[in-house]
Amino acid sequence: MQTFFLAVALGICFLVFLVLYRVVYGPGVFNRVAAISAVGTKTLIILLIVGFLYQRVDMFVDISIVYALLNFIGCVAVAKYLEMER
Amino acid sequence: METIQNILAGLFLLGGCFFFATATVGLLRFPDFFTRLHATGKGDTLAVTLCLIGLAIHSGLNMTSVKILLIAVFMFLAQPTSTHAISRAGVRCGLEIWRKKEKEGNP
Amino acid sequence: MIYRGEDIIIRTISRMLIPFIQLYGLYVIMHGHYSPGGGFQGGVILGASLILLLLAYGYQDAKSRVPEKLLTVFSGVGVFIYAGTGFLCLVLLGNFLDYAMLAKILHTDAAHARSLGILSVEIGVGMAVMAVMVSIFLDISTGGVLPGEEEEKQKTAEEA
Repeated sequence: MQTFFLAVALGICFLVFLVLYRVVYGPGVFNRVAAISAVGTKTLIILLIVGFLYQRVDMFVDISIVYALLNFIGCVAVAKYLEMER
Repeated sequence: METIQNILAGLFLLGGCFFFATATVGLLRFPDFFTRLHATGKGDTLAVTLCLIGLAIHSGLNMTSVKILLIAVFMFLAQPTSTHAISRAGVRCGLEIWRKKEKEGNP
Repeated sequence: MIYRGEDIIIRTISRMLIPFIQLYGLYVIMHGHYSPGGGFQGGVILGASLILLLLAYGYQDAKSRVPEKLLTVFSGVGVFIYAGTGFLCLVLLGNFLDYAMLAKILHTDAAHARSLGILSVEIGVGMAVMAVMVSIFLDISTGGVLPGEEEEKQKTAEEA
């Protein structure tokens, strides 16, 4: 099961690198914000899988709750900022 | 019992990875902002929920799996909301909407 | 400026999520001993929940929930709790923040006194961090002048 978790984590890491293309080259700031939100959700899963690999899930669950929360608040804040910037 | 648990968790995780992959392909290949957001908004929500359910099944019945399911409920509420916020900001800022190009010469 | 609130979807979801976020912040502060987190992190989570409230409802509607004067009081009281615990240990013939000395007034053994001392310090740090986070957010988003204070400042400037 550990090997399977490692394979899944590596696969999601590869997808994160693919999304980073949109973060770097995406035309305009809106594409970048959407891509960064996608990276945040993938990182959440990677954090939990790393917790299972280290056998310390009870620690990593708390960190990933905070990660999800700050991802959401950051998205809403950036959207409001861009809307007022207009 | 252990084997059934592991197989179910693996199936859910693989399903989550599949939807992550489709969302990434959509984000990379679609032509404009709103279609890309359409791909990631729905695909990532479903993928995160599936992955978290798989990890909760693997963790078994304890406090950790309850917290993981709490994250799943939170993401299920928060992810569409943030997608809605960004897309509304895009509409208000007047981003161009992609249309299919018509062939020249044909009316 | 953050005069205007968001639309109904973001307001409804924020109204549903904010109490649970604050409960989680209190959990992080209270369980700082044996899980990740502590005073600073719990304070940041509490501050983030208040920032979400301000973002979703706008300053005009959220003014009664997050008043500016109360934030100042909170940051002062938080620092006072932290420094007061430290100086209480000095008064009880220990070093600064030497929690074992608190056993004399709490009537427990040294281990319990250390646990309770750390808890009180974390509560103080959490209060201070929460208040300062929201203050920084208000200062950055409004440029230092809160809506409603502009007229008062103009009046005082004209009188002077």
